[in-house]
This record gives sequence, structure tokens and C-alpha cells, in this order.
Amino acid sequence: MNKSTSNRIVVLGVLAFLMVASGCKKKETAPPPPPPPKAVSATLSANPTSIEAGQSATLTWSTENATDVALDGNKVDPSGSQTVSPTQTTTYHLTAKGAAGTQEATAQVSVAAKATPTPTPAPTPTVTDDQLFAQMVKDVYFDYDKADLRPDAQQAVAQAAQVIKQKGWKVQIEGNCDDRGSTEYNLSLGEHRADSAKQALLQAGVSPDSIKTISYGKEKPQCTEQNEDCWQKNRRDHFTLLH
Amino acid sequence: MAKEKRTGKGTTGLLLLGFMLLGSFLSAAAQDRIKIELNMGQERPRIAVPDFKAANADAQTAPLNTVFNQTLWNDLDNAGIFDLVAKSFYPSQTPGQPAELQAKAWGDPPPNAGVLTFGNLGVNNGKVDVQGWLYDVKNPGAPQILGKQYKEDASPDNARLIAHRFADEIIARLGSGIAGIAESQIYFVSTRSGNKEIWQMDYDGANQKQITKLGSIALSPRISPDGSRMAFSGLTRDSWQIMMYSLELGRTVAFPRNSGDNFSPAWASDGTKIAFASSMHSGRSEIFVADANGGGARRLSTGKGDVSPVFNPKTNGQIAWVSGRTGLPQIYVMDADGSNVQRMTDQGYAVSPAWSPNGLLLAFAWVRNYGPGVLGGSDIYLMDIASRQIIQLTHDGGRNDFPSWSPDGRHIVFQSNRTGNEQIWSVLADGTHLQQLTHQGRNSQPNWSFK
Amino acid sequence: MAYVRANLFYEREQWKGPVLLSVGFHGLLVLSIVVWGYVAQQHSTANDWGIKQGDAVTAQLVSASIPIPKPEQSDNIVANENKGVTQTQPQAKPVEKPPEDAVPIQGKVKPKQVEKPVQQAHVTPPPRPIPTPETAVPYGEGGPVSGPYGSVTTANYKGGFSFQNADFGGKYGWYVDGVKRRVQQNWLTYEIDPRIKAPHRAFIEFDITRDGSPANVHLAQSSGVPSLDQSAMRAIQRIDSFGKLPEGNSVTVDFWFDYPPK
Repeated sequence: MNKSTSNRIVVLGVLAFLMVASGCKKKETAPPPPPPPKAVSATLSANPTSIEAGQSATLTWSTENATDVALDGNKVDPSGSQTVSPTQTTTYHLTAKGAAGTQEATAQVSVAAKATPTPTPAPTPTVTDDQLFAQMVKDVYFDYDKADLRPDAQQAVAQAAQVIKQKGWKVQIEGNCDDRGSTEYNLSLGEHRADSAKQALLQAGVSPDSIKTISYGKEKPQCTEQNEDCWQKNRRDHFTLLH
Repeated sequence: MAKEKRTGKGTTGLLLLGFMLLGSFLSAAAQDRIKIELNMGQERPRIAVPDFKAANADAQTAPLNTVFNQTLWNDLDNAGIFDLVAKSFYPSQTPGQPAELQAKAWGDPPPNAGVLTFGNLGVNNGKVDVQGWLYDVKNPGAPQILGKQYKEDASPDNARLIAHRFADEIIARLGSGIAGIAESQIYFVSTRSGNKEIWQMDYDGANQKQITKLGSIALSPRISPDGSRMAFSGLTRDSWQIMMYSLELGRTVAFPRNSGDNFSPAWASDGTKIAFASSMHSGRSEIFVADANGGGARRLSTGKGDVSPVFNPKTNGQIAWVSGRTGLPQIYVMDADGSNVQRMTDQGYAVSPAWSPNGLLLAFAWVRNYGPGVLGGSDIYLMDIASRQIIQLTHDGGRNDFPSWSPDGRHIVFQSNRTGNEQIWSVLADGTHLQQLTHQGRNSQPNWSFK
Repeated sequence: MAYVRANLFYEREQWKGPVLLSVGFHGLLVLSIVVWGYVAQQHSTANDWGIKQGDAVTAQLVSASIPIPKPEQSDNIVANENKGVTQTQPQAKPVEKPPEDAVPIQGKVKPKQVEKPVQQAHVTPPPRPIPTPETAVPYGEGGPVSGPYGSVTTANYKGGFSFQNADFGGKYGWYVDGVKRRVQQNWLTYEIDPRIKAPHRAFIEFDITRDGSPANVHLAQSSGVPSLDQSAMRAIQRIDSFGKLPEGNSVTVDFWFDYPPK
């Protein structure tokens, strides 16, 4: 007990001395009058000042006696540089605020339109029959346990018929089912689906010799997840080009 | 007033109870009826099946004896016509020869057996010798029913084969005219070689082996009544065709090609005709019948979207099949000339009809309440054709499909995905003795041989 | 409807009575089931011959000295237990029938029994179109029936049968069991007119040939109900084979079918 109280007294004493000492120091010098605030200056330059679209320019700035510097609203360091790639002629504003006031600086970067490239001759179309077929004759999808074409499918098939006729293609229609039904019945249902598309093509004027149908039932699924998304993907007629 | 309340509750309760009882009675009546037709009567002879004795100390004798005893027990247990006496009731001394037999020890309680099998097995010079007897132990006067001797090259396969033969002999004697199935085979589709091919196995799942090597997709195996040829549908480069595999020659043999897609073949039980579904005529699948060599195909059904025909094996005068002509698939029956079409199911999604050997019942797969979003669970049902009464065989809500009857009309083999993927299961037609037969790969569309 | 106030406390007090009643009735029910089970067992002696209800079938066809089942009380005076209905029933003979074992040992028979073989020679053979198998015992004329015989009641089948060859039945009880089981399993009672309430009985007789197939299936005695007769006939006709006969070329069997089962 005795020791702690003696410690306390020592600390207090030191503190008091320090306070006094510091105070003493301060008392010695009289505060000088504040100097007049120095003028704020700001400069902003762009290099190069003129670019083509897609190229970039560098903005460089410097300020003096500024505490708050912003480039087009974004706070930046008092001095620095930044790369910009404007797509059209832009004027950049630098704002510098200091004790003495605010200064602004601008720099403009001109953007010239892209030079038209020398016209090269149009490339010969590299789209093959297979690619065109894949684009124009797409899979059609069916409702649950149904084999009749939905309105959107009917449209698609009618449009496909035009290309098929025009190109003189031979088409195989493959009927598929989702995996929930029975193997043998699904072969029959797939057959029905393929036949529906065939009838639609025939109605659109495609010759029967150009059409072949086959059913894969549920034997060749596109996906195997057990959800409606996948099942819908499998309830389809798939078209292939016969060479 | 409180009294009125009580009687009100009482009468409704009674009414409810009455309805429940009536309902259970009706379904019990349906069950009784179908049980009668399944030849699964309540009375079963009590049979004791002690292990056969090892006839000598040859190194191969003990292991082959074990295989033999297990197979014999399972065959007699699986037959569905015996009450196997529990082994815990057996007397301590097991006879290996008739001279060692003490009939009273087996015929009296606790075993209280009606008949007894016993015998011995020994391997001599690479051959396995089996002597087996079947005795009537309740009748001390004239006890022997059967006495048999077998000899084959010593191997586990042959030990099994001999057990199957002996079991079938016993069943033929005691089953009063209905042959045993211990030597029958099941044909099925398996993916375990990488793609769907036809495989074969013993009725109890042993001896599984690949038959076809189509290298494409092979479906719907159907063995001929004499067991020599197997029809199936195979995917060629541009269509499905009915193909014929000769088990004797070990390869496919010629079978006429038809235009369109051809699938789901079925044999008449006299081996003279094959029915199948084909889109050769209209681009939609219809039922056709051809000769056993594929010639003379003529169209039977006038509907479209028809598939999975099956003959009435007792008469061959009728064909059951599946038709989507009204929307969802339903089961129909017609005469073998295409006339007299009758619709058998009235709702849901019904497929895969299988006709019982006695001609009285149809097994089929059914989703009673079928609709979008329903996860496609189906169960096996049995229908009495004359009365249209139906009982449900499987109940677990997974996908159960493709029932096929055993030749004795008491067992059904089917595919089920209750373990997560499709496997082949067998069950007695009263729902007991459920067994998983395949475990590897995905296995489907089982077909039980005719004998 | 009268307005009923739901008074909880009033209801609660009322539970004691009904609960006691309920317990009482349940107890009575259980008791009656137990008693009935016991009593029913007592009364089943007539059907106990080798076959117990719901038990496995045992082959117990040894001799003719079996307890004859109680005669059926039937409104139908034509259909009764007595097997002699297809022939005029003679007066009961004073000569007692010797036990079967006695027949072969003719040398030792007492004079009384010597009469029997002589008398049997005079017995008119049963007027049957079918050839009598060499091992068949001539059809008795009323009185105790020879050969394996039994009446059976299961859930599906009520009736009985008789093999005309006593030796056969004695040696091949297991075969007889199989035949019985097969026939009873093949009898489709739903084929019969459900309006029948009074008991009726149809007698069917047939041979089992060497390969086990039934032959000469005919209606030995009509029940008076066509659908019952037909279903009984079909029960036999539906069967392809009972399995090979263990002995002999032919065995004649009689089956009768009782309807309704209760």
C-alpha cells in the first residue's frame, strides 16, 4: 500500500512538472502574426492536344497553395497526370481551392474522326450449307406428351420449308421425347412428332422425297437433369441435313 | 342436447367404419380372385431341405456342395409353392442316403415336414456326382417320391445347374403339373458395355452375359418359345429394324427389313408368328403381324400410335397392346385378326402389357394420375381380364416398368429405378420375395423365357 | 336444427359414461373373438383329416378307416354326402366290410370274411362308360367309401374329393394332395350366379391319364344350378396336366363343389 501511494505521488509530480515546463516554454515566445495567404495557382495541359478516336492523351496538372484539387469533379492530387481517351473533343477542367481562393485551369483534347480505311473487296461468303441449315432449320419443341406443332413451331417450320425448297435440301427429322415415359411408347411418340413436322413441311410444298423421319424416343437425350428445363429441351424434333 | 350430439357422432362413425370395411372387403375380394388365378392357394406343402452331405473329402467337394445347397434352397424357396421348414427345427442328424433316413424325426413335430429332400454330393476325378431323393415323410408305407442321380464336370456353374435341375424335378412332382422355373432365363437390355445391348442371365440373376454386339442401340429383347432365337429392335444407320439373333449360332441371322421404324417385337406362344410395331405404312407406328421368319407382314391395328403388342399365350387368339390414339397411352385388347377391339384402361398413362401364361391376367405399368410436373412414377398392376378388376403390385412410387411373367405364372420380373438407376427385379405375383437381380450399369426391359 | 350450446364442462363430465361403455364393448369384442376362435377349433375335427385349415397340406391317405365327415345337412335332397347317388342305394348289407389289409391275405381269412370275396363277385360292376382300371376297387354301394377321401374347406373352395383307387391314394398321398390343390385353385367361384343362397353341390368325375392330363371330364351329378355345374367342369378342364401319374395308366377321381361356400 505504501509503495503504490508513493508511486502515485511520483507520477503526479512528474506530470505537474511537465505541464509547468511545457507551459513555461510556450510562455517564452510570443506568437508571430499570421502571414498573408499565398496566391493559389493551377495549370492543366494535355499532350497531345489532338488525337484520333480510340487513341489516348495525357493530362498533366500542377497547382500551388491549393488544398483541394479536383479534375472535372474528381478529387486528385495537387500535382499529377492522368491518361484519358475521349471519343469526341472534350474540355477538361481543373479546379484548385486554397486559402487564398480558387483557381481554374482547362485543357482541350480534340478528337478527329477515324480515317476511313481503304475499302477492301467484300469477302466471299464462307457460310456453308451446314451452317445455313443450322441457322434456318432449327429444332422445334413440343408440349408434354403432345406431338402437334405449337404456333411458333408451325411458323418456324413454314419458314424452314422455304429455304429447304430453295436449296433443294434433303432433310432428316428426328423425333425425341423426355425421359419420363416408357421406352417403347416414347419411340412411338417420337415417331409422331417427326411425322407432324413432316406433314407441315409437305403442306408448305416440300417434296416427300426430300424428307426422312426417324424416332429416337428417349434414347438420345440432350441433357439428363430431372427438371422441366431439361425435359422441355428433350421434347423436340431435330433436323439434320442429309448429304 | 349433449345426448343428441353423441348419437350423431356415433352414426357417422359407424357409417365411416361401414364404408371402410366395405372398401377393404371389395379390394380383398379382388385380391382373392386374382390370387386364385395366380395359382397361389393358401395351402402349401411343408418341405424340409437339409444340406446335402459331402460324399468325400476331395478339395472341390466342400465348396461345390455349398453352392449346390444354397442354390437348391433358393430355388425351392423362390418357387412360391412350398412352406420351407425353418432350419432351426431340423433334427441334428441329416441323412445322406435313404438307409440313414429316420422319417419320423422329420415328419413329426417340431419339423412337421410333409416331404423331405436329402442326398449327397462328391467330386471324383474332376466330375461332380450328386445323388438326391425326395421322400414323403408322413407316410411310412411308401416314402420315395423321387430318386435322381446327376454327373457333370466339376465346376460351380455345374453345381448350380444340377441344383436347378433337381429343384425343377421336385417342383414338377409336387407342383401338380406346373413346371419349375429354376432353369429358365431372363433376357434384358444393359448399358454396362458402353451402349445398350441385349444380355442374358439365369432366373435368379446368376451368370449374366452379353449376347448382342450391335455397337448401336438394341432394345426390347423377346426370346422365342423354343429358346433358340431372340428377336429385338436395333438402331441401324437410318432406322429401327426388327433383328433376329440365333442363340445356337451365336450371331444375328437375316430378317426382312421394312421401311420406316420397326420395334417392340413379340412372339406367339406356338412360335409361328411375330407381332411388332412399324411405321412402314403411314409414318406412324401401327401393329403388324408376320411369320416367324419375318415374311408376310400384314397390318392389324387401324389406330395410330400403336406399340408393344403381346399375344395371349394360352390361346394366341388375342393381342394386347398400347395405343396413344386418345392421347395418353392406354391398353387395348383385340382378336388376333384385328377385330373386336376393347379398351382395358380408362385413365392415366398405361403401358407395357404382359399376358399371364394361363391367359387370365394382364400385368402392366401404370401412372394412375399422370400430368405435367408429375415426376413420372409408375407402378406394376395386375388386371383380371374377365372382370377388369385391378390390384397394385408395387407401391414405392419410383418408376417401375416392363413386367414380364415367369413360365409358371407365379413370378414377375420388371425394371425399377427405386435404387437410383434402372435395375431388374423379380417378385412373386403376390408381392412377396422381392429380389434385385442386377446391380451394374443400367438394366431394363426384362423378358422371361417361355420355359 | 336445434341450437346446441357447446358447453365444455358439461361435455367433459359426460365422458366417463361413454368411455366405460366403449371399454366394455371392446372387451366384449376381444373376448368373443377369443371364444369363437377356441370354439371354431373344437368344431373343425370333421375337416382335420390330414389337412388343417391354413396349414400346409400333409399326405395322410393311408386306409379307408378314416372318420367319415359329418353328413351335410342340405335342403337339396338329391345332393347329399352319400356317394351312392349315381346308383340305386341298396339296403345296408349285414356283412361288414373287412379292413383293406385283409383282402390280399385270403388264405388266412375267417369263414365270415371268405363270404366277402364271393359276395363281391356278385356285385354288379358300376355302370360306367369309362374302362375300369385294373387296380380300381369296384365302386361301393353306399356305406363307407373306399379309397382316399376327404372334404376340404378353404377360403376359395368348399367341397371334397375321392380317389377311387385306395392303393393309389395310400402310396401317393403327395400326388393326391397336388391334384386337390390344383383343382381347388382353379375353381373360379366368381363365374357362378351370385344370387344362389341355398347350398348346392355339383359332382364332377374324371380320369387322370398316365401323362397326368384329365380325361372324360363329366358331370356325374348336377347341382341344379347351371353356372355352378359349368364352373365346376371348367375347374377341371382348365388344367392341362396334374403331373405324370406315379403309377398305373389311369386313375378315376371324383370331386364335388359346394356353393355358396358358407
